[in-house]
Amino acid sequence: MSANAAPITATDSLSQALKANIIPNQEYLLQGSVLDSAVEVLLHRLRGLCDNVDAGPETFDDQEVCFSLRDPNHHQAPPLMLRVRKALDARDMPFQLRYIGQPDLGDKNRPTVVRSSLDIACSGMLIEFLNELGCRIEFEYSVKGYMFRKGRMKITVAKVFKISQNSMPPEPISQSYLVELSVLAPQGQDAIGEDMRAFADQLRPLVQLDKIDYKRLGHMSVS
Amino acid sequence: MSDRSCYVCVKHLGCHFCSRLWDRRERASGGFALHTRTANSIRYSLQQYPVPENKTGTYVVELLTKRILALGATQQGQFLVDCESYLSHPLMGTTKTVHILHNSEQPASVFSILESGTKNIHVIADGLFDLLMMKLSQHYTSKKQTKIESKGPRFELGDFCVKLGSVTMNQNFKGILIEVEYRPCVMANAVWGLLREFLQGLLGPTVPVQPPQHLISRMNEIYTPIDTIYQYLEHFSAYRKTTGMRTT
Repeated sequence: MSANAAPITATDSLSQALKANIIPNQEYLLQGSVLDSAVEVLLHRLRGLCDNVDAGPETFDDQEVCFSLRDPNHHQAPPLMLRVRKALDARDMPFQLRYIGQPDLGDKNRPTVVRSSLDIACSGMLIEFLNELGCRIEFEYSVKGYMFRKGRMKITVAKVFKISQNSMPPEPISQSYLVELSVLAPQGQDAIGEDMRAFADQLRPLVQLDKIDYKRLGHMSVS
Repeated sequence: MSDRSCYVCVKHLGCHFCSRLWDRRERASGGFALHTRTANSIRYSLQQYPVPENKTGTYVVELLTKRILALGATQQGQFLVDCESYLSHPLMGTTKTVHILHNSEQPASVFSILESGTKNIHVIADGLFDLLMMKLSQHYTSKKQTKIESKGPRFELGDFCVKLGSVTMNQNFKGILIEVEYRPCVMANAVWGLLREFLQGLLGPTVPVQPPQHLISRMNEIYTPIDTIYQYLEHFSAYRKTTGMRTT
């Protein structure tokens, strides 16, 4: 192609990427939890197994706001969920806008939850934008903890807090840490699930990482 | 080193600022890095150039190309700025429009401007934002027949960068948009006089005295790529209301 050829449009470029299946739009996920009293042992184990621990495990302190957007044609259909995450310990970093689809219920023997997921870095007035778009805030929380990497896998061990309205320190919602093992990859790479399961087995019995049935959680009362 | 490019300097992520932010963000999310701006932001002016009655768009672009090459500029590829607009579903209440723009100068970015009544809210995101708009198709529908773009050669002349854009909508030629960028300066107030002088030398006396509408209230603020996009949107909206012209 000559240097003076017309540039390819962004839409065409995206279509090509979709056809070539190189866009990481699928999340493979396992979740579990560990009590506060046992988290240090888990962190120690992860330090031994993971890659990014030269200068100690990486910490993060994020706030996440969850929005929903109802389908105007079908009020009974589940709303579209969007999540906005911002780093409280690095204010100049972009926001992360995340679309998460419903978990794929296809194969019950799959080792992990599989759901469509788009991670989009954003700057600008994202919260106002989503409000004007017609989204409604469902809930928000802050999450603080540690992030580990093992190849393509990301492991987070973090505590979830309620957002405090005044200057009081944030209140944790439980006496445990949420542990998540996830990989973001293009569609059709189901072998990743097996690698994740093998890694999760190395963390037993400190933490039991499993597929969560979100439908069962949806029926529990929320205080 | 990743081969993804930073949307501000459009280089591989090797500059100090980019690699610091990329490294931190890539570890946390595994996704794209996008940072707001560096001190090397650049300054644009966007002008329509009238096509005389008995002439065509192609003739005018060729004429301006000869002029700019005669000044000593060299062509450095082509550029493309495009805009697709999405209208909110009638059942969602007051009509809102989401304009999605892309600029080949920032290939890793998608610019989104939401028009709601009198206010405009913008978001700058990475390339996957286009995929999100597809997920929102029940709520916001694309008006494909009004997709509009400005495309053409790009020239560099010292500290200036000049782009001669032919504006087309649905294959119909609409007019010529000239974009001039003065790279060293980040504030409109400090450079509008110089830019106007350069434009007059290139285009003659048709250059307006006043800066572009979008910049008038922002003359003392740091210029960023979204300011260019607002200017393009202003012109594209005007072009959408006009009928097409002859191109050849």
